[in-house]
Amino acid sequence: MLSLIVFLPIIAGLIILAVPSSQKQIIRIVSLLAALGQGVLAVLIWRQYDPTMAGIVAASGGSPFGSFQMIEKIPWISLDLGSFGPLNIEYFLGVDGISITMVLLTALISAIGVLSSWTIQKQVKGYFILYNLLATAMMGCFVALDFFLFYVFWELMLLPMYFLIGIWGGPNREYAAIKFFLYTLFGSVFMLLVMIGLYFSVIDPLTGHHTFSLVAMADQANYIKGAILGPDSVTWRYAAFIVLFVGFAIKVPMFPFHTWLPDAHVEAPTPISVILAGVLLKLGTYGMMRINFPLFPEVFQAGMYVIGVFGAINIIYGAFCALAQQDLKKMVAYSSISHMGYVLLGLAAANSEGMLGALYQMFNHGTITAMLFLLVGVIYDRAHSRQIDKFGGLASYMPVYTGFVTVAWFASLGLPGLSGFISEAFVFVGAFREEVTRPIAIVSVLGIVFGAAYLLWSLQRMFLGKRKPDALYDLEVDAHGHEHIHFHDWKGKLDLDARELTMLIPLGIIVIALGIYPMPVMGLLTTSINKLVQVLAPVAMSAVH
Amino acid sequence: MMHSLIQLSIAVLLLPLLSFVVLIFFNRRLPRGGDFVGLGLLGTSLAISLYIFWNVIVQHYDPAFSVAWNFTWLDFGNVPGVGPLQIKMGIVIDNLTAIMLAMVNLISFLVHLYSTGYMHGEKYYGRFFAYLGIFTFSMFGIVLSDNLFSIYIFWELVGLSSYLLIGFYFHKDSAADAQKKAFLTNRIGDIGMWLGILILYSQFHTFGYQEIFDHIKNGDFHMSQAWLTAAGVLLFMGCVGKSAQFPLHVWLPDAMEGPTPVSALIHAATMVAAGVYFVGRIFVILTPDALHVIAFIGAFTAFMAATIAITQHDIKRVLAYSTVSQLGYMVLGLGVGAYSAALFHLLTHAFFKACLFLGSGAIIHAMHHEQDMRWMGGLYKKMPWTFATFMTATLALAGLPLTSGFLSKDAILAGALGFASVEGGGIFYLIPALGFGAAVLTAFYMGRQIWLVFFGESRTHLKPAEEHGHDAHAAHGHDDHHHEVHEVAWNMRLPLVVLATLSVFIVFSPDPLDGGKGWFMHLIQTPATVVASTGAAHEGAGLHVPEAGKLLAEAHTDTQHVEAAASHEAEGHGPVFADPRQAEIAHMTHENHYTAIKLSSIMVVIGIGMALIFYVFRFIDPDKTAQAIRPLYLYSFNKWYWDEIYDATFIKGSILISKILAWFDTNIVDGIVNGVATIFRKFAFANGSFDKYVVDGLVNFTAFTVQTTGAVFRKVQTGKVQTYLVMVVVAVLGYFAFYLVHLMK
Repeated sequence: MLSLIVFLPIIAGLIILAVPSSQKQIIRIVSLLAALGQGVLAVLIWRQYDPTMAGIVAASGGSPFGSFQMIEKIPWISLDLGSFGPLNIEYFLGVDGISITMVLLTALISAIGVLSSWTIQKQVKGYFILYNLLATAMMGCFVALDFFLFYVFWELMLLPMYFLIGIWGGPNREYAAIKFFLYTLFGSVFMLLVMIGLYFSVIDPLTGHHTFSLVAMADQANYIKGAILGPDSVTWRYAAFIVLFVGFAIKVPMFPFHTWLPDAHVEAPTPISVILAGVLLKLGTYGMMRINFPLFPEVFQAGMYVIGVFGAINIIYGAFCALAQQDLKKMVAYSSISHMGYVLLGLAAANSEGMLGALYQMFNHGTITAMLFLLVGVIYDRAHSRQIDKFGGLASYMPVYTGFVTVAWFASLGLPGLSGFISEAFVFVGAFREEVTRPIAIVSVLGIVFGAAYLLWSLQRMFLGKRKPDALYDLEVDAHGHEHIHFHDWKGKLDLDARELTMLIPLGIIVIALGIYPMPVMGLLTTSINKLVQVLAPVAMSAVH
Repeated sequence: MMHSLIQLSIAVLLLPLLSFVVLIFFNRRLPRGGDFVGLGLLGTSLAISLYIFWNVIVQHYDPAFSVAWNFTWLDFGNVPGVGPLQIKMGIVIDNLTAIMLAMVNLISFLVHLYSTGYMHGEKYYGRFFAYLGIFTFSMFGIVLSDNLFSIYIFWELVGLSSYLLIGFYFHKDSAADAQKKAFLTNRIGDIGMWLGILILYSQFHTFGYQEIFDHIKNGDFHMSQAWLTAAGVLLFMGCVGKSAQFPLHVWLPDAMEGPTPVSALIHAATMVAAGVYFVGRIFVILTPDALHVIAFIGAFTAFMAATIAITQHDIKRVLAYSTVSQLGYMVLGLGVGAYSAALFHLLTHAFFKACLFLGSGAIIHAMHHEQDMRWMGGLYKKMPWTFATFMTATLALAGLPLTSGFLSKDAILAGALGFASVEGGGIFYLIPALGFGAAVLTAFYMGRQIWLVFFGESRTHLKPAEEHGHDAHAAHGHDDHHHEVHEVAWNMRLPLVVLATLSVFIVFSPDPLDGGKGWFMHLIQTPATVVASTGAAHEGAGLHVPEAGKLLAEAHTDTQHVEAAASHEAEGHGPVFADPRQAEIAHMTHENHYTAIKLSSIMVVIGIGMALIFYVFRFIDPDKTAQAIRPLYLYSFNKWYWDEIYDATFIKGSILISKILAWFDTNIVDGIVNGVATIFRKFAFANGSFDKYVVDGLVNFTAFTVQTTGAVFRKVQTGKVQTYLVMVVVAVLGYFAFYLVHLMK
């Protein structure tokens, strides 16, 4: 099941390879079918998933795979390395509460992204092959339970992303693509080193050999005393934690490693922005929850405060930067930085409320930001510009669009009744409950005000008031005295068309429904999060053995 | 089993939401913009609300009445360190809920009805009713909530509906500015409220009112008393925002950009009173220190807003500042411990202020969207119904006997006097002083308004030509300003009559001088505080003050007071308090009741007298007076310059910080990234050069050497036998020459 959901897009990619590049519609439909197939599989996985099983780590005395579900585990690469013993890399997939949420999100956003890619006209075949490769890599990351396999998927994401920005992007696309690529690669090089270090420090209790299994690594009992990342190797464990954290923090992106994001977003085509903000950023925080924190819980305990401070900086700094932006897409990009700060803050709290809020925020940020970028794309398609001050009064002329913008904007600023509020609320609840992070939480609430400030200000400048004299569209008055507007070289429907509505309505429904009753998603997480909190509880290293 | 009242209240809650959902999607497809949907659904919920009111208030008539119900909204499972954790949502219906529900629903229904006339012909007519629906839903949510989390949700949702309705004429920049200002100012209050909620949650892992109260009562609050005070003050910040108290009052006058029915419903009667309602809900956890803060803020706001109201020209602005001032009274009332008086004023104010706003709407409607009182005058003959109702409500607002406003305002002022005497006078007498000062000003500005609007000659023609059309109401054509002014139609008149009727004393109390004898004060009694008495508070703050403890002990055991309290109880004036401070205040309030009546009557007479002197008899010319005290006049006219101060500090400051940080981001953070990249590139280039010129150079040099050597030798290998022969000959000859030279040695 999991293999199928991971590799379905790649199968579609192979089919596309055989389709002549002039058959654009077939290429699109094949991709859409693959994405929908992923969606159906995600729903099936969701239905089968048992939310009472925790995952995270192998339960002592229980199944060796822990309480992970839908496990697929076969030896993948086995080499005899002589004195090092056998090298065992496994193809090991499984889900728990943390990953199933992300699987659902990825399937949803991938499908939305395919629809959004419908308007791509340049080299359609190449585009969709890369797109499908990306979809596989993302999904793979979230279900891989073998570190090596995770790393393979992680690196596999870079390649299509690089080309998707670098070929189908805006005017400054090559700079943005290279920046994205090098920045992420910089992080993953260190990840590789830590991964190898971990391999030689951990013994799988089942086989007695070294292993890349994340399930085994999450249990401190499996670490060898005296090994480089063993329990007594304090310095190396701190160093490993920090470089891993930086690697993931780049992806989040965390201040000060965030500047690739606005550039990448501004240059990326709309669907790629949707994927980037909707799914890719979550890989950073997912990596922290799956790998970085549970593998080094004692270092995490020591670093909670620092992580929380970085979260607060993201929240407030991101909001202020967003306030100053003139380009709407850049503003949304900085709003992502601000909102991912809430995830960091919730993780830093290391209690159930905070972590639950953080993970729920990852899901909600995915859906809300996808909406934001789609909506930015809508206006960019029409006006070929995103300069906030070049609009004005759009509410009078594009009422449906304005309605969706209002929902998305208010969801983003954390209006109760919409999903973003609940996650932010519980991030604060969690962070305030811990004395360590309490002062950080108090400072961070300023983000609530400034978040509202930049969103409402942009809403006013673009949609309210009257058309500005230098606006990017003409005003026409018809025979009945009704005012209409006309974008210069836009032939399509002025307000949202059917395809755009097809993308936005499901997201809107999810944002509203999960804002009123979050349990359908939150219910999946609670057991795993409670377990994770236990794993992260202060561990005296001497007590482990 | 769910109590039938709970089931009914859920219906009341959801009917307006249904109205919103139907109207937001279908208003263009329904005839008349679907206004009948809103009206019908609100009418249905009104019928249910009134039934609940009748059942709870009339049938039960029990101060302790309460039914509650909740369900698990979020289940967090077995949380490490806490145990099983569930977040519940629920409804509580007590006397206060039943009264608020009926009041909000009645005014909302009347405003719906009124709007069918006032908003007639608007472009987004149907959408207006949709927004009213979501507002009413959110307001019911605030009223019915049994916990801090859900009240916060609905709190922000009324903020949203307020945002949408203030900006209903969104094509006007002033409206768009006002809606943004309202939302952001409220959010500042909300973050305080949110932090207050977080403090309480962090201690008890629950949001439920009753659970929190019980925990505090049992002494489970393990942080210092200062944190509890902080929690109270922070929660009160929510009220400061929503109820437009200083320093966050600046949004409310600007909110008058919204259509007038909205001003009546949201920005006068209901939403702005939600802050007071909320402080009433959490009243029992407020420490004396927190109450002092609340009392001073309320008193200052009441007075400050009144000083601004006396110089405004816009009919709605006067009423807006009056609302701020009256909300100040309510907050003051809560701060001094006059809980039931404050909530009583909330109720009476809702009716008479809604009446005033709807009356002003009728005037504006009849005057073709003229809002400036300088160009009105002489309307009482033309609009007799509006005049009569407006006058009744004005008398109630000014606090004249025989009106509802007299009963409630007097009770607050008595509470303030009692409070000041208990707290030991001095600075605390400032609170009643500001309260009575505001009473004078209230009577004055309302007298001024009545005179300018209804009496004298019509001054429409005096309006300078260039001002024509400036305050234009965009959706209405008004090519001709000098239409005959007519009384409004029945659908706008009926709400005025109902609301004016509800401003008469008999509705609330059989005794025109004492609200304490009425049903409201019987049913809504000051609840006993759950905070340990002040002595403990001083200990908590690390200061043991034996004198204070002794004094309190004396107060507690003082037989006189106990007797007084007992007789007080026997007279039906509320409970005896275990907490000595509360008992003292209740007693002294009772003692000061008649002093307050006398004083406030004198104040009203002075205020009306001044209005008569300035505007009716014109013994003193108001314009000349304004010239004579110009700085003061300008200070009032420009609203104490708060907007300018905030603009120069917070708004400009935030924008400046954002610009600096954005610059920092582009040039420093990203600069470093690009710098590092450049360094690597330079290094790579240098490395490349080294590679190209040195490493590769050596390789090439070797190759070059070989090549040149080869080239030389290649010349030799010509492939011609003759050449080889020549070379052989030369070589042989050379050899012999060499050999010969060798031999000769």
